[in-house]
Amino acid sequence: MTTRAFAVALTIPDNEAFTATETLARLGLGVGRTARADIWLFDVDDPEADALRERIASIETIFNPNKHRLVERPSAAPEPGEVWIAARDEAPATLVGGRAIPGVRAIRRRTGWHLFDHDGRDVPAATLERAVETFLCNPAFQEAIR
Amino acid sequence: MSARVAVLVFPGTNSEDETVRALQAAGLDAALVHWSEPEALARFDAYVLPGGFAYEDRIRAGAVAAHDALMDPVIEAAEAGKFVLGICNGAQMLAEAGLVPGTGPLRRPTAAFAPNASGRFHSVHVHVRLAVEPARVPILGGIAAGTVLPAWASHGDGRLAAPAGELERMARDGHVAFVYADREGRRVPSPSGSALDAAALVNRGGNVLAIMPHPERDAWTFQHLDRTRDRASMLAPSGGATFFRHFARALAGRAA
Repeated sequence: MTTRAFAVALTIPDNEAFTATETLARLGLGVGRTARADIWLFDVDDPEADALRERIASIETIFNPNKHRLVERPSAAPEPGEVWIAARDEAPATLVGGRAIPGVRAIRRRTGWHLFDHDGRDVPAATLERAVETFLCNPAFQEAIR
Repeated sequence: MSARVAVLVFPGTNSEDETVRALQAAGLDAALVHWSEPEALARFDAYVLPGGFAYEDRIRAGAVAAHDALMDPVIEAAEAGKFVLGICNGAQMLAEAGLVPGTGPLRRPTAAFAPNASGRFHSVHVHVRLAVEPARVPILGGIAAGTVLPAWASHGDGRLAAPAGELERMARDGHVAFVYADREGRRVPSPSGSALDAAALVNRGGNVLAIMPHPERDAWTFQHLDRTRDRASMLAPSGGATFFRHFARALAGRAA
C-alpha cells in the first residue's frame, strides 16, 4: 500500500492565511507571508492509479475549480519550510464527502502551513518552530508534522 | 454601586447583547468593549468573554482572539485575581490563552475545546451540575454544592481534549467545574464527546471560569424549551439567571 498526498489551496485571497500572518507578526516573528493548504493523504492499493486525481477533483467538498488549485505532492511529507498540523486522535476515514473512492483504503487530512520571510524565502527552521509552539498548533489535541 | 463588568467583543462575536442583558438583570453594570479599545478595560472590575465565532474561528476556535491585544489586559487582570468568565467561544479563548486550566505557561495551552467528536455543530438544551466544592469557584459566590443549571450547548468545538496525564491532573485538582448532567443532576455524557464529561473548567485560583454551554440563553422563561405562553411568565427569570446572580454575588462580596 502507498500513500499519495494532494494539496488543495485557494487561488482567491486566503483570509485565514492572512490572519495567521498578522497574528504571527504580533508575536514578533519575522513572517512576511503565510500559505495554507488542505493536505489530503490517501492510502491506495495501486500507486499508479491515474484516475485518483480526477476522482478527487470531482468531489466538491474537497475541491472547487473556481477557487482551488489541486496539486499532487511528490511525497507524503511536508516540504521544506512547511509544517502539517493534524488532530492527534484522528481516525482515518474511508469516505470523503460521503463517497468512497475505489482503491482507497484510508483518508487523512492535515493543514499545511508554509511560512515565508519578508523577502519571500522560507523562514528559518527556528522561526517555523516558534510559530508552531506559540500559535499554529495546540498540543493538547494536535500534533505538528515537520 | 454595582460592579462594572466588561463584555468583550471581537470581530465575529455574536452573543454579546444577551450576555449584557443577563448580567444587567443580575444587577451588574455591564458594558460592551470592542477589540479596538483595550485601554478601556482597566476601569472594569471583571471581564466576560461571550460566545460567537471570534475571527471566524480561523486557525482554531479562540486561537486568534487569545493573542489579540484586547486579551493582554484581561490576562494581566486574571493573573492579578480579577474575575474572568468565558462562555462558549469565550471559553475556547480562555483555554487557548492558557488561563484554564492554567497548568502551563500563558498562551501555551495545556487543554482545548476541540472539534466535537461527531464532527458536527450541535445546538441542544442541556443541564450542567457543579462538580467541585463551592469553595473551589469563588467566581460563583454562594453557589450551592451540586447546583444544576439549564443552558444551551451550541458549538462545533466543545470537546475537552488534553493528554491523558493532563486530564488526570484536571480531575484530581478540581479543574472540572461543571459536568453535563440530567435535570436531576446525574452525570451524563456530553453532546460534544467532552473528556470527563466536562462542561466547564476553572483555574487554580477559582477566579477564571470557562463554560461551554450558554447560561445566558436560558436566563428567561421564554428561552426555555417548556416555556408557557403566558406573557408574564415568559419574562420571568429562568435557571440560567442563577449563574449570573452568583457571579454578581461574588463581585459584591469583593466590593464589600
